[in-house]
Amino acid sequence: MTRDGARAVLDRVLAAAGGEEVEAILGGGRSALTRFANNEVTQNVAERRYLLSVRVVRGRRTGRATGNDLSAEGIARLVRRAADAASVQPEIAGLLPLPGPQEYRAVEASDPATADLGPEERLEQARRAVERCRAAGLEGAGIYESGEGTIGDYGEIGALAIANSRGLFAYHSGTSATFRVSALSGTAGGWAARESHRAADIDGAALADRAVEKTLRSRDPRAWEPGRHTVVLEPAALADLLLEMAWCSFGALLVQEGRSFLANRMGQRVMGENVTLRDDPYHELHLGSPFDSEGMPTRPVTIIERGVARSPVYDRQTAAKDGVESTGHGLPVPNTYGPMARHLVLEGDGESLEGLIAGVDRGLLVTRVWYTNLVDPGTVTVTGMTRDGLFAIERGRVTHAVRNFRFNQSVVELLGQVEALGRPELVNGVVCPPVRARGFRMSSVTEF
Amino acid sequence: MKDLASLAVDTASARGAEYADARLIVMQHEEVRFKNGEPAGLDQSESVGVGVRVLVRGAWGFAATDDLTREGISRCAALAVEIGRASARLVAEPVRLAPEPPHRAVWASECRVDPFTVPLARKVDLLARIDAELRRVGGVRNAESSLTFVREHQWFLSTEGSDVEQTLTRSGGGYTATAVRDGDIQRRSFPAAEGHHLCRGWEFIESLPWVENAGRVAEEAVALLSADQCPPGTYDIVLDGSQLALQIHESVGHPSELDRVLGMEANYAGTSFLTLDKRDALQFGSPIVNLVADATLPAGLATFAFDDEGVEAQRWPIVEGGRFRGYLTSRELAHRVGETRSRGCVRADGWHHIPMIRMVNLSLLPGRGTLEELLGDTGRGLYLETNRSWSIDQLRYNFQFKTEIAWEIRDGKRVRMLKNPTYQGITTQFWNSCDAICGESEWRPWGIVNCGKGQPGQVADMTHGAAPARFRNVKVGAGYES
Repeated sequence: MTRDGARAVLDRVLAAAGGEEVEAILGGGRSALTRFANNEVTQNVAERRYLLSVRVVRGRRTGRATGNDLSAEGIARLVRRAADAASVQPEIAGLLPLPGPQEYRAVEASDPATADLGPEERLEQARRAVERCRAAGLEGAGIYESGEGTIGDYGEIGALAIANSRGLFAYHSGTSATFRVSALSGTAGGWAARESHRAADIDGAALADRAVEKTLRSRDPRAWEPGRHTVVLEPAALADLLLEMAWCSFGALLVQEGRSFLANRMGQRVMGENVTLRDDPYHELHLGSPFDSEGMPTRPVTIIERGVARSPVYDRQTAAKDGVESTGHGLPVPNTYGPMARHLVLEGDGESLEGLIAGVDRGLLVTRVWYTNLVDPGTVTVTGMTRDGLFAIERGRVTHAVRNFRFNQSVVELLGQVEALGRPELVNGVVCPPVRARGFRMSSVTEF
Repeated sequence: MKDLASLAVDTASARGAEYADARLIVMQHEEVRFKNGEPAGLDQSESVGVGVRVLVRGAWGFAATDDLTREGISRCAALAVEIGRASARLVAEPVRLAPEPPHRAVWASECRVDPFTVPLARKVDLLARIDAELRRVGGVRNAESSLTFVREHQWFLSTEGSDVEQTLTRSGGGYTATAVRDGDIQRRSFPAAEGHHLCRGWEFIESLPWVENAGRVAEEAVALLSADQCPPGTYDIVLDGSQLALQIHESVGHPSELDRVLGMEANYAGTSFLTLDKRDALQFGSPIVNLVADATLPAGLATFAFDDEGVEAQRWPIVEGGRFRGYLTSRELAHRVGETRSRGCVRADGWHHIPMIRMVNLSLLPGRGTLEELLGDTGRGLYLETNRSWSIDQLRYNFQFKTEIAWEIRDGKRVRMLKNPTYQGITTQFWNSCDAICGESEWRPWGIVNCGKGQPGQVADMTHGAAPARFRNVKVGAGYES
């Protein structure tokens, strides 16, 4: 939906509210995904979907109603339901009045060719990837997703535009193109992926070549003993660990409630000096939204600076409690979680992946991890499995495949043991480099 | 509404689809949240749309839209056909659908008191009373509670003549007390980690002892801060029903999904160790282990009359006497295991997603005796309650779970509370170590409401019935080893 189209919808909400203090969030767009497995297409889907969420504020009471009927009658009904809900809710002592107009940085994240990418174009990229897998005697499986707007991986809908009765209006739309491919040989696998806001950056054949090369090296894995090992984590492996850490640590409410490892540690060294971690939607690889779900402008936040804890991310309510300004990381109000870091950037260094490997006498190269879950929020200990390419590194060279491990590793501890960092890339929504780190805790071996 | 679904099917057929179905759905959702004495979220949402699935030259196409004008629906159906036509360029073998007679039916899940007619003030009042009880206990840092209600009103039509209208109403809720001290973050939840949900009305909410349990839950959360760390080692463990439900979900349910077994989830969630040669051959568990898939289970979250491709609900064994017996199947894949009819396991998350194989209700059949009798029969071991963390590998062999609390068992008695219990295992070794399952009186249906699968990701609900059970010689403590 264009800026004018979104504005027209939101203006109808403000008109229907008839003087109520009201906020409206419009999200959605178009999303399409071609899925292949066993070297053939297995699913091929497209959706068009919008959601309008209306919140009425009456003093310290507030209520919300959400729907996808954007007609005048549908909007009027949403406003009525939100007002009815507000009238029966108890008061929220810390509820803030709606913010006034804000200024936003421009983020150019839309690519018309990507927005209009059709099934034939997606199919052609999938076909090229499958050809590479088939030529190597492997089974190719993967996806090519493209779209515009704010439909997330699990169908969740983010804010495309926000307006409120105090004159605030914000709009941001972007396009996305994601290609992921696995090449399989029995239980051996390899994987590669690329995310961009431009479909022109996607090269299915080249990605399949990387996956195939991993798979061919993954056959006949040998079992290594569990224990602490030096690892080279490729960006996909590290990204999932950073996401777990962000979820339980970087929001100001988590810190204020003592549920983050950063609680009472601001200004202290918590990681290695070579670790600087930011939240930055304006990073050239992210190109994320310049505002949050309260309509506040998002500011880049340095969370960890050279190993020292600097700041969590804030929404308006947590910022008011700490006497600072919102950094524009709020979720729809009210909520139980507080603000959320969504555009992580771990700064890298210039080292190549080969250079990181060359520095290992005996260790493991981890392509990616799977089914991570938080074991201990206080130490950010995360469990999960290695996947799609676990290799031995001996005397600076990759020598053979290793059977997959379950790990239990504190991410805070891991980032205190990083020896070297490579060049960052965007993977799983995180900008992060490959790293070499000591003492990664592998707990048990699986059957393949 | 039905006319619009019919228009979608007719348009797809006219555009060249050899098969088409359409699901037009009105989704209603209400969630009320409370935290630390205040409302923390109230959302009432409604979403209406149509999803059109087609076969063109033996290949799938799917498109969905919320534009319910006749033009919008025609455009959506035409796009589904265009997508199917593109898919046909990369299909090795045309899709063959297992036969299913056309069904014409109207069905609704049991709902004695419509939760959407219960005044909001009454829901808020219940949460406020729970919240007050939780915060009455000193040391509780966060008290969080919620109630959730979902209604899905669906019309399913197909070119084969099926015409089914179904209404499913789900109700549930839960609460958690969290206590914090110097980076130690402990919590207790009721009735289970993600609450408790069933396909019933407001009467389900009224049937549970919410307020009565709040004080105990809060006291246990605070006491965990001072409890000893669960020592690592090898133990006989007894799992409570809610933790066992998740164990069933992850280590039995997902690996028996036939699309996973055949590699169709390989790029995302992975495949399965339950390869086709394992059926009727693998001793999955001990002889007392019987697991039944059942889309007819009363009040189950995956209970329906027909699945999302119009196949009648069924009940069949997955594990029988410990032996692996069957898969969760679809019309597309049934023939791959030599079956002539789908088991009816295909569902979609809303109108905007394509239906795919999802777990139906999957339950461990009860054994005998009470929990106290089972603990009394356990000389030295651990009793683990309420999930806190879960993970399993991409073939579903190696798993690790953490529960909120453990009770050390000595000489058949609970002697002390332990914190941070984790346990690990390999699926078939674990289920073969099961030597006791409690009886009917301890058996409960536990709801799972956050099961993710597929690309794009879809979330599904299902129920796993279970009574507490004992597993011998399980590795405990790996999550906290140094």
